[in-house]
Amino acid sequence: MRAEGAASFARVWADHRRGLPGWGAALAGITLMYLAFWPMMGADMQAMLDGLPEALIRALGYDRIGTAAGYLEAVIYGLLGPVLLLVYGIGLGGRVIAGQEEDGTLELDLAAPVGRARLYWQRLAAVWTLITALVAITTLAVLVSGPLFGLGVPTVNVLAASLAMWLLVGGFTTIALAVGAATGRRGIGVAAAAGLATLAYVFRSVADAVGVDVLATLSPFAWMLASEPLVNGFDAFGAAKLGLLSVVAAPLGAWRFARRDLMV
Amino acid sequence: MSDTVIVTRGLVKEYGRTRALDGLDLEVRSGEVFGFIGPNGAGKSTTIRVLLDLLRPTAGEARVFGVTPAAGGPALRARIGYLPGELALGGRVSAGEHLHHLASLRGGRGRDAIDTLAERFRLDLARPVRALSKGNKQKVGVIQAFMHEPDLLVLDEPTSGLDPLLQHEFMALVREASARGATVFMSSHVLREVETVADRVAVIRDGTTVDVDSVTGLRRRAGQRVSLRFAEPPDADTAAAIEGVEQVRLDDHTLTCLLHGEPDELLKWAARGRVLSWSARDRDLEDLFLDVYRNRGRNGAEAEHDAR
Repeated sequence: MRAEGAASFARVWADHRRGLPGWGAALAGITLMYLAFWPMMGADMQAMLDGLPEALIRALGYDRIGTAAGYLEAVIYGLLGPVLLLVYGIGLGGRVIAGQEEDGTLELDLAAPVGRARLYWQRLAAVWTLITALVAITTLAVLVSGPLFGLGVPTVNVLAASLAMWLLVGGFTTIALAVGAATGRRGIGVAAAAGLATLAYVFRSVADAVGVDVLATLSPFAWMLASEPLVNGFDAFGAAKLGLLSVVAAPLGAWRFARRDLMV
Repeated sequence: MSDTVIVTRGLVKEYGRTRALDGLDLEVRSGEVFGFIGPNGAGKSTTIRVLLDLLRPTAGEARVFGVTPAAGGPALRARIGYLPGELALGGRVSAGEHLHHLASLRGGRGRDAIDTLAERFRLDLARPVRALSKGNKQKVGVIQAFMHEPDLLVLDEPTSGLDPLLQHEFMALVREASARGATVFMSSHVLREVETVADRVAVIRDGTTVDVDSVTGLRRRAGQRVSLRFAEPPDADTAAAIEGVEQVRLDDHTLTCLLHGEPDELLKWAARGRVLSWSARDRDLEDLFLDVYRNRGRNGAEAEHDAR
């Protein structure tokens, strides 16, 4: 039998590459804009923080906002970066199999001489490359604007934080795709991934605010940030736990997708 | 096994509590054009999706070229051209890009035929697929089903959305495929759509086969609608007793009935009175088709028990 190459992979790119410049510009623009505020922080910021309750400051991750690494984490890596990327990734993950199965646009692909597993893994891989491109753009924006505004966070640490963010976003995106492919329902895939991501975010915030370690242990956001990668660099254990999200979800989705009825 | 392309035996498919296929038996021979007729919701698309391994049977089995669709996998689907009943096209690509994508899913097979077929069906390959009209989408569907010259064509309601001219072109395509030895399995909810090209026809209802016959056989069975006007009102009861006469209706001096087989007995009976005028016209196959639907409750139920 003749292999069909990477047609399923290429098709996801053909359908979604046009969205990349817009998302890339938004992520780079927001990063640039927030980092441009850094030189203006200082006395005003400290005055504002003095008026806030201690627990709220910790929940928002603003307790270290007076340092460059703390500021970068509070605005980009701990909030806007993952949130925007998760919106993109989870939406895309739900779309490329379950969403297209539901609206019927995947029927001819599924009836083509391509194994279901092959279609699944290629589409998942394509989604990962799209996310990778956006994480790379965000990282580049941080690396370029850091020196510009005198942030002074070492490049290795930025790369370490970006790697962790990439694994986190990829993990929840994979969950959206896998649960969608397993159930044939885009809504279930998106809800599962978005729900878990929200829970993870809340757990970390609560854990930070009131110091409940159990919640931090369970939160992928804590796996990403608790070791303070922008200060301490690469955290292998955290990265391994984040990677596990995808490593567990992806094969389960593929297994179920290959066995169930399609287009019902 | 070699001369049958599609075989299903007691095929059952359930979705939760609803039973879409209820012991369907089919046999499609190699090289024939086979019409698969039934009302909407009879199980046509479900059967077709089982053949393509999109759905897995609850019970019974289906075999295409001698293997079950699941076991046949990609190698089996490489031999099939499929046109879905409700073709949805989306994504941000042109019609040409979409067709090239589908060809590359087949390892490039059919790529060379895209331009010729697009010209033949007057499809603008540069248009984005999502902006195509229903008819133009159907053209994309037809082209991708035929482009790789498959051994088996599975066409679900293929002519829907095509204007008469393109329907004609489509039928020509089916005849060409048949002439080069391909087997064609096409569904429709109207017999008229398939009777001109089909060799044999299966009628299904509620997930079971209620009738299989050649188109000529069906025509023979369809019978004639006879109308006789008498000088004096005839005795309708004696007419109804005649072999091959059904649905006798007497309206004043005019008797109408449905006649199967030779008219000899009926004519001799009519000659006992004075016939003022008469007419006999062949029935539309569509009428027979409706008969089959209606009668299934009576005759079909027994046949079904025998089948199990």
